[in-house]
Amino acid sequence: MTTTLAIRGVTKQFGHGATSVEAVRGVGLSVESGEVLLIMGPSGSGKSTLLSIMGALLRPTAGTVTLNGVAISQLPERDLPPVRLREFGFVFQDFNLLAALSALENVALVAELTGTARAEALRRAGELLTELGLAERVAFLPDQLSGGEKQRVAIARALINDPSVILADEPTANLDSSNGHEIMRTLRAVAKERGRSVVIVSHDQRIRDIADRVVWLEDGQLRDLMTMAVDPVCGMSVEHDRAVTLEQGGELRFFCSRGCRAEFLGELDGPAETRPARTGPLASLFQAVRPKTP
Amino acid sequence: MTAARLALRSLARHPVRLAASVAGIALALTLTLALDAIYTGVANGLTAYIDHTGADVWVSQAGVRNLHMVASWLPDTVVDQVRAVPGVTDATPILYSTDTVAAGDDRGVAYVIGLPPGAPVGGPWSVVDGTGQPTAGGVVVDAAFARRAGVTVGGQATVMGRSARIVGLTEGTGSLVNSVAFVPFADFRAARGGAPVVSFVLVRVAPGAVPEAVASAIEAKVPGVTAMTGSAFSAGERRLVMDMSADVIAIMDGIGFIVALVVVALTLYIAVHGSRHELAVLKAIGARNRVLYATVLAQSAVSVAAGVAVAVGITAALAVVVPRTGVALEPALTLASVARTAAVGGAVALIAGVLPIRDVAHVDPLTAFRRGGAPA
Repeated sequence: MTTTLAIRGVTKQFGHGATSVEAVRGVGLSVESGEVLLIMGPSGSGKSTLLSIMGALLRPTAGTVTLNGVAISQLPERDLPPVRLREFGFVFQDFNLLAALSALENVALVAELTGTARAEALRRAGELLTELGLAERVAFLPDQLSGGEKQRVAIARALINDPSVILADEPTANLDSSNGHEIMRTLRAVAKERGRSVVIVSHDQRIRDIADRVVWLEDGQLRDLMTMAVDPVCGMSVEHDRAVTLEQGGELRFFCSRGCRAEFLGELDGPAETRPARTGPLASLFQAVRPKTP
Repeated sequence: MTAARLALRSLARHPVRLAASVAGIALALTLTLALDAIYTGVANGLTAYIDHTGADVWVSQAGVRNLHMVASWLPDTVVDQVRAVPGVTDATPILYSTDTVAAGDDRGVAYVIGLPPGAPVGGPWSVVDGTGQPTAGGVVVDAAFARRAGVTVGGQATVMGRSARIVGLTEGTGSLVNSVAFVPFADFRAARGGAPVVSFVLVRVAPGAVPEAVASAIEAKVPGVTAMTGSAFSAGERRLVMDMSADVIAIMDGIGFIVALVVVALTLYIAVHGSRHELAVLKAIGARNRVLYATVLAQSAVSVAAGVAVAVGITAALAVVVPRTGVALEPALTLASVARTAAVGGAVALIAGVLPIRDVAHVDPLTAFRRGGAPA
């Protein structure tokens, strides 16, 4: 794995003088390709500010942000939109789909902004949405989609320009448990099957299950890094004290769920050949997902 | 194209707002277009006689270049002089005066034409009742005027201070401001004291002869006259009428422009303000400001284009409907008028589209991360 995004000594100060506030203070961290990094912390801890700095939306007061070896924090303002367009994919809590455009057009638009021809943009958008289980929803307006579907469209939009980094701000906050889990699995699949770096800012404890690494931000500073174990079946990172465990031959193994432990022990029904075949990098996640009514 | 598509979709998402905007623009521009059409209709009415005389060349007193509100007097010897000019097939003298025609309870301004018997040109061109050749003591009047006055052929009218019997009714000889009445040449001359003068000489040129050349030849050979082709004489008349209305039309253009501008600017402001979050999202994901500017301008252009189209449609409908109501008015929608309104609309679209650009430029992409900004 290679370092995709690195920030060093990043500080962000808002305001001047007595009223100034340091939202982020001397933060340094890096994200590898294929890694899911979860930034957690209480409200007002500076998570969103840090995410904005990482995504070239906000210039740090001090420190550097390096993307694939390029110090993007030093780039002039006019050069940042193309960087955001091509190198970052954003996933928002409120989905932020354009209400006037269909799911397909929302995704294709981002490709069109890079100069891609409309027909090609639509083709790629269609492929992505199909991979994400939304083949039958491409013509729907956002208002006609469920929360989970909207977020999958947002993920497709974030992926269409094949960015290096996906930045997700509270991606499961507006979703129910089932849809939240689905989105988490999707984001992890994006990292693992496409080799993208995924940075998630969230309060959602469930996201710990898919994160390779969790950092805690409080008062604008990183506090404590938690070490995670990896589920040998699904590859998810799991905290030792929250995992389903199995002691075998003197070795302690950690699983994200009883299902994974059962699969590890060969207790699942049916041979592997009966499982759905993939047609795309993310297809295995969504072969069985049926469209939902809004 | 991306900006245009975004603009269209955004507009279509708020049909009521779009309809209100288009209606406002259309109303404002219809004021201008309709007034222009009315003036053009009036000008058409005023030049109808010139356009339908059948004369290739008009010969008038030196310096007289139109019909409206002028007097042209030439000695009647001029007629033979004109007739002798090479290229002239025939020369018909007419007498002309702006006077009032009264019948029943109605009274109106009219171009009164004194027409020689059997004149090959200069007479009425569409007779709906009676004769087109006025006989002694007779008058041919506009049919619409006769309807308003409640008279028919055989009825009485007062023209040039004398009572005359209506011997014919004509169509296409009336406008909002006047009509055309035809009396015998001799009656006209008698009413004016019997002086051996004519007002105009209407000339037809020989086949193959060029009217402009013949007109120049007449001016060269006949002293004290102005000779103009029929089309030039008509254009002069039309120019005079349109010049008289130009100030009013300009004022209405200005009012239409301002109203349309206010409507579009307000609508766009509301649209931009209402879509600040979506604009922030677009900026956050990497759209350049110019894409957003183009989107706003495209929204403005689409609204105004629709408004212009509706205004043209309304005015065209008025041009068809109004004459059927019996009003002596035939609004005429011209390409030039549509082009001028489209130009005004273009200016409105540009200015209204540019005004919110500052707002768009100041949209902070970070607001895309704020909660509750967009329902979708």
